[in-house]
Amino acid sequence: MSDGFRKAESGTQLLARLEGRSSLKNLEPCLFADEGFPIHGDVVEFHGPEGTGKTEMLYHLIARCVLPKSGGGLEVEVMFIDTDYHFDMLRLVTILEHRLSQSTEEMIKLCLGRLFLVNCNSSTQLLLTLYSLENKFCAHPSLCIVILDSISAFYWIDRSNGGESFNIQEMNLKRCAEFLEKLVREHHLVLFATTQTIMQKSSNSTESSIPLKLHCEADVEYRPYLCKSWQQMVTHRIFFSKQCNFSSSKAFSIVSCHTKKTHIIKCSFSVAECGVQF
Amino acid sequence: MTASRVQDCAALRLPTCRSCPRPFRGCHRDMVILRAGLCPGLTAEMIQLLKANSIATVVDLVSSDLEEVARKCSLSYKALVAVRRVLLAQFSAFPVNGADLYEELKSSTAILSTGSKSLDKLLDSGLYTGEVTELTGAPGSGKTQVCLSIAVSTSHDLKQNVLYVDSTGGFTASRLLQLAQTRTGDEEEQVEALQRIQVARVFDVYKMLDVLQELRCSVSQQVLSSSGPVKVLVVDSVSAVICPLLGGRQAEGLALMMQLARELKTLARELSMAVVVSSLAFALLVLGWEQGIRS
Repeated sequence: MSDGFRKAESGTQLLARLEGRSSLKNLEPCLFADEGFPIHGDVVEFHGPEGTGKTEMLYHLIARCVLPKSGGGLEVEVMFIDTDYHFDMLRLVTILEHRLSQSTEEMIKLCLGRLFLVNCNSSTQLLLTLYSLENKFCAHPSLCIVILDSISAFYWIDRSNGGESFNIQEMNLKRCAEFLEKLVREHHLVLFATTQTIMQKSSNSTESSIPLKLHCEADVEYRPYLCKSWQQMVTHRIFFSKQCNFSSSKAFSIVSCHTKKTHIIKCSFSVAECGVQF
Repeated sequence: MTASRVQDCAALRLPTCRSCPRPFRGCHRDMVILRAGLCPGLTAEMIQLLKANSIATVVDLVSSDLEEVARKCSLSYKALVAVRRVLLAQFSAFPVNGADLYEELKSSTAILSTGSKSLDKLLDSGLYTGEVTELTGAPGSGKTQVCLSIAVSTSHDLKQNVLYVDSTGGFTASRLLQLAQTRTGDEEEQVEALQRIQVARVFDVYKMLDVLQELRCSVSQQVLSSSGPVKVLVVDSVSAVICPLLGGRQAEGLALMMQLARELKTLARELSMAVVVSSLAFALLVLGWEQGIRS
């Protein structure tokens, strides 16, 4: 839009925008290559087929964020945008109960008070909701993480609604991605978004998306299908998969890479009653 | 929550899908077109001017640079900002605080017994409202029988209303009556139990979506049926309407499948119903259907 000059903002707005966000240093060192934690402005994509632990990992991150500092958490606020009706509150409560030293009802509610949830039913509604959330980020300086589960939810519906034109098909998603990028940049947020592997492996690529050559020579097959604006804004991509050999106790594994660097890390985790365990 | 649901419904209905021969193709169901009276402050002249500058929908207006629009259409910038704010409030989803949602869930979640001890045990004591439960198996493995028996036990034992969507023709009233007879000898009670079960026969996915949307709209507009809200929705089966769609134009079939899955999940969550769907085992291989559905 009009990037010619910056709009004037009040001192409080500026402070809220830049100063208030606290460090995410201890979020989850296992997930990130290089620095070991996301810095404000990062966009992290969780990619993998269904049932590979993406949403569980999100619960884990939410729990890390909303738990009080005394309990080893970060005590920051989280905005969770749910596009699949995926989010299960009772599951999150179970995880919190396991991680709190004294899990009283008040304590749980205090933690959950740091979480905001919003459900979106279509890509249009998602876009309008993102626009309306901007004020929320200004008003809540401790709100520094946005989770979008999942950004690929409307893919087939949009594809079908857009008719023959590829541009119309991905218009809403493109606008969402562009606005998300602006939000993340201007408000110093960290965005976590999941994308499902909905394309079959190695199908003869008749689609117009060009498979990117993965710079990290990991054993993951990745076929980007979402719009270009999204592909370009991702700073970390974490691939989720389920291990086939059931002998090991850790059933899920991840490969994490920074999109601009070559370093990758791999690790595995298991999912128990109390959530993700590395 | 109620208010937003009603709105949602109104938004869905705006450009009538019924006019298209094929409801979900090429017709932007939730693309709300600007019209007078949509929100306070949005006058017919404003809409005329905006249209002349190719701003026709809510999304167009909200995502455009209002300063530029004000200049181009010679409209008041202030008025545009006000309209944008109102439109956003009207059409965006509203974030809920986690603690409030937890409170609400604690009071609204119910566990409905299926009437079968072993099935209840398998499901962690029964069907949860707010969840979609999928029954799957080979043809002839008893899916329809389980569906029927869930319907009867909900209506007789729990005295709750059931909507039974039958897409295979497998529903028979005489079998339902038999099942009711095993539970009670009293004829009046049997009749009462059967009255609480509404049946909808649909033979394609468009009709099924229609039925589900009608249900959602009727509940959110508080047009309650004489007897009270539907607590359990049984769909037997989803694969019967989905399988014919796959294979041809792939994107369209998958889109309809996602639409159906989304509609079922929305009903479960927003109207806190327990949703039971049945599907043939092979249909599970279909990509994407399973996301978020507890089998």
